[in-house]
Amino acid sequence: MTLLKREEWQHLVREVDWTLSYVDDEAVYPEWMSGTGKVPREAWAKWEEDYKVSYPEYVATQREKESSAYAVKAALQRSTAWENLSEGWKSSTKMHFGGVTLVESEAVLAELKMARFGLNGSWRNMAVFGALDEIRHAQITLFFGHEFVGKDPQYDWTQKMFHTNDWVAVSLRNLFDGMMVTSNVVDIAIQLPLTFETGFTNLQFVALSADALESGDVNFANMISSIQTDEARHAQQGGPTLEILVEHDPVRAQWVIDKAFWGSARAFAALTGPAMDYYTPVEHRKQSYREFMEEWIIDQFVRTIEDYGLKKPWFWDEFMKGLDTWHHALHMGLWYWRPTLWWKPTAAVSKDDRDWLREKYPNWEKVYGDKWDVIIDNVNRGDMELTLPETLPWLCSMCHLPCCVATLGYDNRWRVRDYPLKHNGVTYHFCTAGCRQIWWKDRDNLNHPTVIDRFLAGEIQPMDVGGILGYMGLTPDVMGDDPDYSWAADYKDRLIVPRVPVAGA
Amino acid sequence: MTTAKRRRTWSAFGETRRVPSEYEVMTHETNWTLRAGRKVPFEQNPSSPANLWFLTYREGSPLKVDDWNAFRDPDQLTYRTYVGLQDDEETKAEGLLTQYAEAGADATLSEGWVSVLGRLFAPARYPLHGAQQVQAYIGHIAPSSYITNASAFATADLLRRVTRIAYRTRELQLARPGSGIGERERVIWEDDPAWQGARKAVETALIAYDWAEAFTAIDLVLLPTLDDVLLTQFGAVARANGDELAWHLSSLLAADARRRERWSAALAAFAIDQRPGNIDVLRKWIDRWSVRADEAVAALAPALASAPQGAPSVDDVLDSARAARARVLDAAGLGLHPAVPAAGV
Repeated sequence: MTLLKREEWQHLVREVDWTLSYVDDEAVYPEWMSGTGKVPREAWAKWEEDYKVSYPEYVATQREKESSAYAVKAALQRSTAWENLSEGWKSSTKMHFGGVTLVESEAVLAELKMARFGLNGSWRNMAVFGALDEIRHAQITLFFGHEFVGKDPQYDWTQKMFHTNDWVAVSLRNLFDGMMVTSNVVDIAIQLPLTFETGFTNLQFVALSADALESGDVNFANMISSIQTDEARHAQQGGPTLEILVEHDPVRAQWVIDKAFWGSARAFAALTGPAMDYYTPVEHRKQSYREFMEEWIIDQFVRTIEDYGLKKPWFWDEFMKGLDTWHHALHMGLWYWRPTLWWKPTAAVSKDDRDWLREKYPNWEKVYGDKWDVIIDNVNRGDMELTLPETLPWLCSMCHLPCCVATLGYDNRWRVRDYPLKHNGVTYHFCTAGCRQIWWKDRDNLNHPTVIDRFLAGEIQPMDVGGILGYMGLTPDVMGDDPDYSWAADYKDRLIVPRVPVAGA
Repeated sequence: MTTAKRRRTWSAFGETRRVPSEYEVMTHETNWTLRAGRKVPFEQNPSSPANLWFLTYREGSPLKVDDWNAFRDPDQLTYRTYVGLQDDEETKAEGLLTQYAEAGADATLSEGWVSVLGRLFAPARYPLHGAQQVQAYIGHIAPSSYITNASAFATADLLRRVTRIAYRTRELQLARPGSGIGERERVIWEDDPAWQGARKAVETALIAYDWAEAFTAIDLVLLPTLDDVLLTQFGAVARANGDELAWHLSSLLAADARRRERWSAALAAFAIDQRPGNIDVLRKWIDRWSVRADEAVAALAPALASAPQGAPSVDDVLDSARAARARVLDAAGLGLHPAVPAAGV
C-alpha cells in the first residue's frame, strides 16, 4: 500500500487560514458572529482538535454505520414489536421524536455557522463534518418516526412539533436558538458540543437506549445508539475552544458553561425526567433519573470542567436539590395539561410505582403523594373533568416551563416559590433563582413573551383552553391523554376521605 | 366525530395524493426558524442581533418566492445516499493515487510542469476553503431546509477537494523536494499576482451576506468560472504534460462541481419560475460577480499558459471559463438573450 498516512498530510488540510487584505478581518469575522472578545485574534491559531478525521475516512465510516442502522431497521420491519410495546414506552419515544428531531436540524445550522465563522481553519473543517453528522441525525430520526405515522397520528409531530406554538416548542426553541444559533461561534462551541452534547445528550441517548432495550424496542435503541456514535467526534470542537477561552477570559468561559448547563438541565427535567422515572414501565427502569444524572452529568461533567480550571456553576446547590423535585413536578404538570402533549403520558403512580419512587426519592411521598391522591380519588370516582385543566400554569420568563418548583422552607414545609424581578416597571416571574439570574444577565429574553403573556395580551383567541390548544397546534387526534388510567385501580377500594382545604398548603 | 383518515406521511405535505419520496420525507421543512406564522425567526427578543441579521439577509433578500419549500435538489441527496456516493468516489480516488504512487509518476514530471503545479494547483486549497466557508454560510441562512442540505453537501464536497489537493501537495513535496510545494502555498496565494483576482473575489464573497447574493456569487458565478480553469482546463493541460493522475483526479472531482451546478441552476430556475421578476435580481448580481470572476481568471490564465506542453492562450483560458459559466446560467434560464451579442467580449 503506497497511500500516505493521514498524519503525513493532514496539516495541509488544516492550514487554510490566510491574512485577508481586500476586506477587513472584522467584516469577515464580525465580533458578534465570531466572538473573539478578550481573546487575541492570533490566539486561535493554536486551536487543535484531539480527534482527527479525514474526508475519505469520514465517508467510509459513516456509510458503514448508515448501512447497519438501516439494515437492522429493515430486518425489524415485519415484526410486531411496535404493537407489543407499552404505551408508556411509546410515549417516551414520541416525546423524543417530537422533541429532538428538529433540534438535530437546528444543530446543522449551528455547525454551518461554525464552519463559516470559526476562527481557525481546522475548526471550520471539523464543523463541516459536524453539519453532516447533524443532517444524519435529523434524517434518520425523521425516517424512523415516519414509519409510524400511519399507525398513530402522534408520530406526525416528529416533523411538526417545532413548527407549532406548543409550549414545549416555545420553551425548547428558546433554549436551542440561543444555545446553537444566535450566540457567537465561540460560545456555540462551548454550549453545544461541550456542555450539551458531551454532557446531556449522553443522558438522553445512553439512558434511553438502555431503557429501550429493556422495553423491547430494539428498533429505537438501534437508532439512538447509532446516532450516539457520532457525538464523540464532533462534540470535541468544544474542548479546544474552551481551552483558548479559559486562558484569556475564564470569567466568560464559566458563564457560558453555567448558562448552557442550566438551560439543558431544565429541559431535561421536563422531558427526560418523566420518560425515565414514569413512562418507562417500573420493571424496565435501569436507574432513576437522579442516578443517571449523578453518573453521567455530575461526575463526568464536573470532572471535565474542573480539568479546564473551571468551577462548579454558581447555582450548584439549587440544581442538586432540583434533582429531587423539578422533574416530578413537571411530570405532574405534563400529565395534568396532557391535552397539550403529543404523546400519552401515563401518570404511573400505582402502588408499585410509588414504592419505587419512594425508594429513589425519599421526599417524593411528602411533596407529591398527597397531590396525586387527590387526582387518584377523582379518577376512581369518575370525576374526570376535575383531572383536566381549566386554567393555565404560570410560565417562567426564562425557561418557559411552568413555575412549579417546590423547595423546603425554614419552617420545614414544602412550597412552590415564585422568583420575581421588576425591570422597567414590569414584574417578571421565574421558576428558580437560576432562571432569574440568567434572564437578568443576558436579557436575550427581554420583550419575549411566554405563551401566558401572549394569552393575557389577547393574542390567543378565544381566551379559553380550546383557544390555547388551537394556538398550540393540537388537533383532537393528537392531543395527549392517559393511555388507560390503570395505575389508579390499585386504590379503588380505599376509603376516600373528604379533603379539608388547609390554608397555605 | 369523524374518523381520521389513516395518515400516509407528514401532515406538512398537505392533502397530497402523491406519496413523498424518501428524500422529501427526510428533508421537508426541518428548519423551525422558517415556521409558518412566525413573527421573527428566533424565539427570543425580536430585536436581538440574530433576529435582525436573519430578517435582513434572509427574509429581506430581494430574491423572493412564496414558498422556497417547493424547491427540490435534482439529485435528491440524503445523508445516506451522499456518504454512499462519496465513499465510492473516494475509493476510486484512492485507487488512482495508489496506482500512480506505485508507478513513481511524480518523479517523471517535467520541471516546467511541476512549477505550474506549485503555482496553480497546490495554492488552490485556499480559495476553495474560502468557497467552503461561503457555501456553509448559504446553508446556515438559506430559506429552506432543501437548500440548506444541498448546500451542506456542497460544503463537504469542497472540503473533499481541499483534502485531495492537500494530499497531492504532500506527495509532490516528498517527490520533488526543492520545488517549494508544500511550503509556499500561502505566500503564493497572498502575494502572487496570478491569485490576486481570485483572492479579491473570494474575500468579497465572504462578506456578501444576503443569502441569495452569496449563492449567486459562489454557485452561479465564481465556482463555475474558476472550476473551468482549476479543474477542466487544468486537467486537460495536465494530461498534455504527462500528468495523467492530475487529469484523472480532476475529472473525478469535477463530478462534485457538476452536481453543485445542477442544483444551483435548478434553484435559480425555480426562483425565476416562481417570480419572473427574480431574473432582474439575479442578473444584477451575476453582472457584478462576473466582473470579479473574469478578473480572477485573467490573472490566473498566464499561469496555465506557462505550461510546457499544450498550453492554451490567455484568451482561450478566459473564453473557456466564460463559456462554462454561460452553460450554468443557460441551464438556469439566465443566459444572455441570443439576439443580443455580448458587447465588448
